[in-house]
Amino acid sequence: MDEKEDPRNGDHVTKKPKLLKLSISDPEFLLGSEFSHHQPGTARINNGSFGCCPESIIAAQRTWQLRFLKQPDHFYFSTLRPNLSKSRAVVKTLINASDLDEISLVDNATTAAAIVLQQVGRRFSHVNDTVVMFHCAFPAIKKSIQAYVTRAGASVIEVRLPFPVNSDSEIIAEFRKGLSKAKSNGGKVRLAIIDHITSMPSVLVPVRELVEICREQGVDQVFVDAAHAIGSVPIDVQEIGADFYVSNLYKWFFAPPSVAFLYCRKSNSSSSAMHHPVVSHEYGNGLPIESSWIGTRDYSPQLVIPTIIEFVNRFEGGIEGIMARNHEQVVKMGKMLAESWGTSLGSPPEMCASMIMVALPSKLCVTSDDDAFSLRTHLREKYKVEVPIYYRPPCEDDGEKEPRDKDGFWRIIKFARCFRPNEKVGSYRSSLPSNDVCVSPVADTCGLTKFKNNRILEDTNG
Amino acid sequence: MGSQSHPHPHLNGDSNTHIPKKPKLSSLPSSLFTEAEIQNEFNHHDPTVARINNGSFGCCPLSIIQSQQQLQLEFLRQPDHFYFSELKPGILKSRSLIQRLINAHHLDEISIVDNATTAAAIVLQNIAWSFAEGKFNHGDVAIMLHYAYGAVKKSIEAYVTRAGGHVIEVHLPFPVNSKDEIVFEFRKALERGKENGKKVRLAVIDHITSMPSVVIPVKELVRICREEGVDQVFVDAAHGIGCTDVDMQDIGADFYTSNLHKWFFCPPSIAFLYCRKSPGCIDLHHPVVSHEYGNGLAVESAWIGTRDYSAQLVVPKVFDFVNRFEGGIEGIKKRNHENVVEMGQMLAKAWETNLGCPPEMCASMIMVGLPACLGISSDSDTLKLRTHLREKFGVEVPIYYRAPKDGEVDVVTGLLVMGSLVLFFIIEELCLVCSATLHGFATMNSQNQRRNKLQRCK
Repeated sequence: MDEKEDPRNGDHVTKKPKLLKLSISDPEFLLGSEFSHHQPGTARINNGSFGCCPESIIAAQRTWQLRFLKQPDHFYFSTLRPNLSKSRAVVKTLINASDLDEISLVDNATTAAAIVLQQVGRRFSHVNDTVVMFHCAFPAIKKSIQAYVTRAGASVIEVRLPFPVNSDSEIIAEFRKGLSKAKSNGGKVRLAIIDHITSMPSVLVPVRELVEICREQGVDQVFVDAAHAIGSVPIDVQEIGADFYVSNLYKWFFAPPSVAFLYCRKSNSSSSAMHHPVVSHEYGNGLPIESSWIGTRDYSPQLVIPTIIEFVNRFEGGIEGIMARNHEQVVKMGKMLAESWGTSLGSPPEMCASMIMVALPSKLCVTSDDDAFSLRTHLREKYKVEVPIYYRPPCEDDGEKEPRDKDGFWRIIKFARCFRPNEKVGSYRSSLPSNDVCVSPVADTCGLTKFKNNRILEDTNG
Repeated sequence: MGSQSHPHPHLNGDSNTHIPKKPKLSSLPSSLFTEAEIQNEFNHHDPTVARINNGSFGCCPLSIIQSQQQLQLEFLRQPDHFYFSELKPGILKSRSLIQRLINAHHLDEISIVDNATTAAAIVLQNIAWSFAEGKFNHGDVAIMLHYAYGAVKKSIEAYVTRAGGHVIEVHLPFPVNSKDEIVFEFRKALERGKENGKKVRLAVIDHITSMPSVVIPVKELVRICREEGVDQVFVDAAHGIGCTDVDMQDIGADFYTSNLHKWFFCPPSIAFLYCRKSPGCIDLHHPVVSHEYGNGLAVESAWIGTRDYSAQLVVPKVFDFVNRFEGGIEGIKKRNHENVVEMGQMLAKAWETNLGCPPEMCASMIMVGLPACLGISSDSDTLKLRTHLREKFGVEVPIYYRAPKDGEVDVVTGLLVMGSLVLFFIIEELCLVCSATLHGFATMNSQNQRRNKLQRCK
C-alpha cells in the first residue's frame, strides 16, 4: 500500500530513482543535478525573498499535480486529507510542537498574519487596545495591521529596532521601552508581533527573551513572524513560548512556492477562535482542517513536505548541517567584503543566520530608498547580481555615534545566502579595487565616475 | 509550440511527472482540433473512469499544463526578475481577456482570485465590516438561495450572521418546472426580508446551483432586486463561464464570480471576481493583505505574498486552446448542453423517471431521477452509492438526495447530477452508467436490509 501511495511511483510500481548522496562540497554537481533550471550567470544573493526549489522536489510536486488531474474526485475523497496530515506531522516534529492540531498549513506568512490579526480584531473591546510591533516589520504585516487593527479602532506602537545593532540587550531594551509606552495610558496590549529574523534590515532577534518579557508584562498574545526561520535557525516552539508562530517553507527549506506553517499553541484559548478567511464547508472544524480545504486549488506545495525531508537528509548533517554551513559562508563573505570596502557588518555574526548585512562604501552615495532600488536594478541588469539593498536613514538619536566608514555614511547591502558555497571565496581577496571597474549611475550623481568592483560580480555560481 | 522535447530533461523524471511530447499540430496555428488531438490532450485522465462530474473539479488539457509548467519554471529561474518585470503585465493580460469575454466596461472591475469560495469571502467580509462600522444596522438582511453552495452558506454564517445580520433563505421547489416558480419564491423571500422596516443589504444568487443543479433566471432576479431596493447583488456563478452566457451588462449584478477551472479548461485554480464600477461603490479588499493594500482589489489580488500565480498567467493560452474548437466557447457550450440533455433524457426514459428540471433550465449539467426502488433515503445513502459507483464501476457522478415532502409516496428521492464535457462523453459510457446503477442497486439491496418495498425494476 505504501508503494502505491508513494507519489513518485504513481499508480504503478516503478523503480525508485537511486538517490545519490549530495555533497555541499561539490556545488558543480549539485547545480547540474538539482538547480539546472536556475538562470545561469546570475549570482543569486537574495535567497531570502523567494527561496529556491530543487528539481527533485519540483518533480515530486508535478506528480501530485498530475495525480489530482487524473481523477480529482478520488484524490479529494481519498488522497488529499491523509497526505496533508503527513505533511503536518513532519512539521510538528521539526518544530517540537506538542500536538498535531497546533499545525496548520497555509500559503505564506502573509496569509498567517491575516488569520492572526482577524482573530485579534474580534477581541478588541476597549478604546485603549494596543498592538506592539517592530518598526521594520515586513511591509505586508504593517498593511495587515492597518487593515485589521487600526481599522478596528485599536492603536499601534512601533518599537524601533536599533540598527546597526551590537547585542541582544540593545533590542531587549528598546522592546521594554515600547511595551511601557503601550501600557502607559491604561492601554491593554492585545498582541505583540515579534520578528524572529527581520527582513530589512536583517537581524536575528532574541525572540525567547522577548516572549518572556511579554508574559511578564501581561501581553495577551504573542505572534512570532518567523518568515525566514525554518532552514535558517533551529526552531523549538516550546522553548520560544509564543502563542502563534509562522514560517515560510519555500525560503530556506526548499519547498516550491508556496507553503508555510502556522503554529497555534493549544493551551491558548484563542486557538479555537482562529479561522481561515476563505471560508469553506469545513468552517468551524478547527484551523488545520479549514486550511486544508479552502476550495478547489493546487495543494501540491503542501503535499511535498515529506519529500523535502528526504532531500535535506541527503546532505551531511541534514538541515542542521545546511544551516551551519550557510551561516559560516555568509559570515565569511560578509566579513571579507566589509574588510575590502573598509566598512562593517550590520550586526555581529551571532545575530545573523543565513543573511548578513554589509555596509556599502559611502562613495556610492545611496541617499534614499529610490537610490537603493536603482542600484539593485543596476546590479541585476548590468552584472546579473541579485541582491537587495537597504537604505538606512540617518537617525537623530545617533548624533555623534552615527556610524561612518572611511569616507562617509553607512549604506547597507543585504546578503542572503543560499546553501551553495562558492569555492572561489579565495579569489575575493584578490579582488581589490584596481581591476574591473564599472560606472555606477548612483555614483555618477555624486560626481564620482567609478566605483570599485570586485570578483563576486563574476561569481556565476552564486 | 511545435512538438519539442522538454527543455529541462531533469524534470522529465519518471512517467508520472513526464508530460508526453505535445501532439504534432497542424501547420495552421489556428486550425481546429482533430479528434485524435483532443484524445491526446486528455491522455493524463484515468482511462478507466467515466468522468460525469466535470462540475466539481473541471479538467485541464495537457498543452495548458505544459504552458503552466513553463511559467512555473520561469519564476523559479530568476524569481526577482519575474516579480519585478513579468508578473504584473502577465496578470494584466489575463484580466483584459476576461474583461472582454464577460463584457465588463472597465478593466478595474476584473480581479483574479483562486476560486469562487475566495470571491465570496471577499464580498462577504465587506458586509461584516459594514455591520461592525455601523453602516448597517443589527438585523439588516442578507438573502440567499436555500440551495446555495455549502461553502457560501458557511461564509454567510461567518461574515453576516456572526456580524449581526439576519439571513433569509429562498426556498426553491425541486423538481422545478419553470423559472416562474423560482421568481415567485424569490419575491416572497424579499418581502419577508423587508418586513418591519428592515433593509435588505445583499442578495446572493447562484447562476447555476450545484446540488441540485438548476439554471437560475439571474437577470430577472437582479431586476427584481433593483426594483425592491436591495443594496447589492452578488451572483455566485461558480459554474458560469463555459457553461452559460455570461454578460455583465445583461445580468446587471454588482458582484459576479465564476471559476475558470470548471468549464473553461484552466488549471486549478482560478476565478474572476467582477465588481461593478458605480458612483459611490466602495472598494473591496482581499482578506490576505500585502503591501498592495489600498491599491484596489485587482492589484491587491495580483500580489498576496509569494505563491504560484501560474494558473492566473496561463489564461491567454487557454483562450487560444478554446478557439481551436468550432465556434469557440459558444460552440463547446452548445454541444455540451445538447449532449447532456440527450444523456439525461435517455436515462430518464430507461428508468422511467424524470429530469430534475426542463432542458431549458439546464446548461452543461442535468439531473436524472434514479429508480425509486434503489431506496435512497438519506444523504449518506447517496454518498454510499456514489462511492460504490466509483469503486466498483469506475463511474464518477454525484448523487443528490431529495427528501420526500409530507404525503408524497413513491417519489424519486435520488437523482444523478450529471455534468460532462461533450469531449469525453461517448454513448458506451452512458450505458455503463445505466447498468452500473442497476448493479449497484442489486448489490446495495442485498447488502442492506431495507424497509422499503422491493419493486420490479427494469
